[in-house]
Amino acid sequence: MTDIFSWNRFFDNIPKILPYLSVTVKIVLFATVFGIILGIITAIIRINKIPVLNQIMGIYISFMRGTPMLVQMMLVYYGLPVILEGLFQWNINRWDKVLFVYITFALNQGAFLSEIFRSAILSVPSGQSEAGYSVGMTRIQTFKNIVLPQAVRVALPGFGTDFIGLFQNTSLAFLIGVVDVMGRAKTIGTATKHVIEAYIFIALLFTVVSIVMQLGFFSADKKLNYKNEVSV
Amino acid sequence: MNISWDYILESLKSGLQYFPNTLKLVMIPTFLGLIIGTIIAFVQTFKIPVIGKLSRVLITLYRGIPIVVALMIYNLLFTLKFEAVARFFRLNISIADVDQIIVGIFALTLMSICLMTESIRGGLIAIDNGQFEAGYSIGLTRMQTLRRIIIPQLIPISIPPLTNNVIGIIKGSSITMAIGITEVLAGALIPGSKSYSFLEGYIAAAVIYWMFTVILEQLSKYLELRGKNFKRSLV
Repeated sequence: MTDIFSWNRFFDNIPKILPYLSVTVKIVLFATVFGIILGIITAIIRINKIPVLNQIMGIYISFMRGTPMLVQMMLVYYGLPVILEGLFQWNINRWDKVLFVYITFALNQGAFLSEIFRSAILSVPSGQSEAGYSVGMTRIQTFKNIVLPQAVRVALPGFGTDFIGLFQNTSLAFLIGVVDVMGRAKTIGTATKHVIEAYIFIALLFTVVSIVMQLGFFSADKKLNYKNEVSV
Repeated sequence: MNISWDYILESLKSGLQYFPNTLKLVMIPTFLGLIIGTIIAFVQTFKIPVIGKLSRVLITLYRGIPIVVALMIYNLLFTLKFEAVARFFRLNISIADVDQIIVGIFALTLMSICLMTESIRGGLIAIDNGQFEAGYSIGLTRMQTLRRIIIPQLIPISIPPLTNNVIGIIKGSSITMAIGITEVLAGALIPGSKSYSFLEGYIAAAVIYWMFTVILEQLSKYLELRGKNFKRSLV
């Protein structure tokens, strides 16, 4: 109790915590890949206004945007076993906890990314598609060659913000018992009774990674933003 | 295992009982964040030396820290250092007299200041520089220009991002459960601790949060429309 913070413990903690960043990275990658797939499917359904599915997806997006991440994670953690056992008699109590985190974050990202994709695709003026059709391109060709390249540019800043938010949200995974950086900090805390150094290191780690990612997206955005050069 | 409606209802009731706590955790940070965030946004836009740059760097750094981590740190400091600080200021209070909710409010307020600053700065950038110049050219002072020309235009632009921020704070408020504050989520789980109906508790909490955000979104849409009407009637 004499000293709250000591640099010795701070530096001791670094090699103990840093390897667990891989858990976080895995969650982020998994959620992003499946979120993009889910987001594209949802965006297509919403743009083409496919009946029934459109309404279901509307509710899904509203739910994901309207409830806290923590609640969604717990719902998947407690709800998925009940649903799977009720429907297919599957027992998934032995699943690794991190799988529930993957599923939650993928579902959550699917909703948020679909909104980003949808608004990006809709932001491309319809004259662009018409121009494509008028030179004899099919719908898919028009979408791939004309609409998509323009939509990607619009979607990128939103995607970047979302990606960094996802990275920060993964720190919630320790609340269901996944050992990521935060979970590791907690175990260090129970072992040594000194946890503040671990938390401060994690805060620094997240800050540094977030800023690096921000800079990365910023430069990617600049590279893709060729509009001004062309028009001048 | 089935989901029981009775448990969901019980959890809904219990969660709603603690709704005032969630409101406190949302309203106070929103209000403080709006005031302080607006001031910082103006400081940054007018490029006031040192403070402008410094606040920019601090906000960028702070935004990198997840709210859980920040909460954990503040909670630790609060429990470890509160008595010492109180003694230093000759205050005769112990940690037991203080509601832990202030830690949550503190963490969410800092988060809210960062979010609000960014949104309002974005809104200010969206307003054409000519608007400032027009104000100055007819002899208004900087404060008059702000009050009569800039802020009326800023409000409708800022409503959608500000709503998003408030929703973000609502979501953040659920995380304060992790440091032992009883708000909607923790309240909805209280019946579950007796009957092990945690799933029902989380469903009830999700319903409450969902309703809360949907109402907010509708309100924001209505306000946005009104703001636009006001703009149109000027032209």
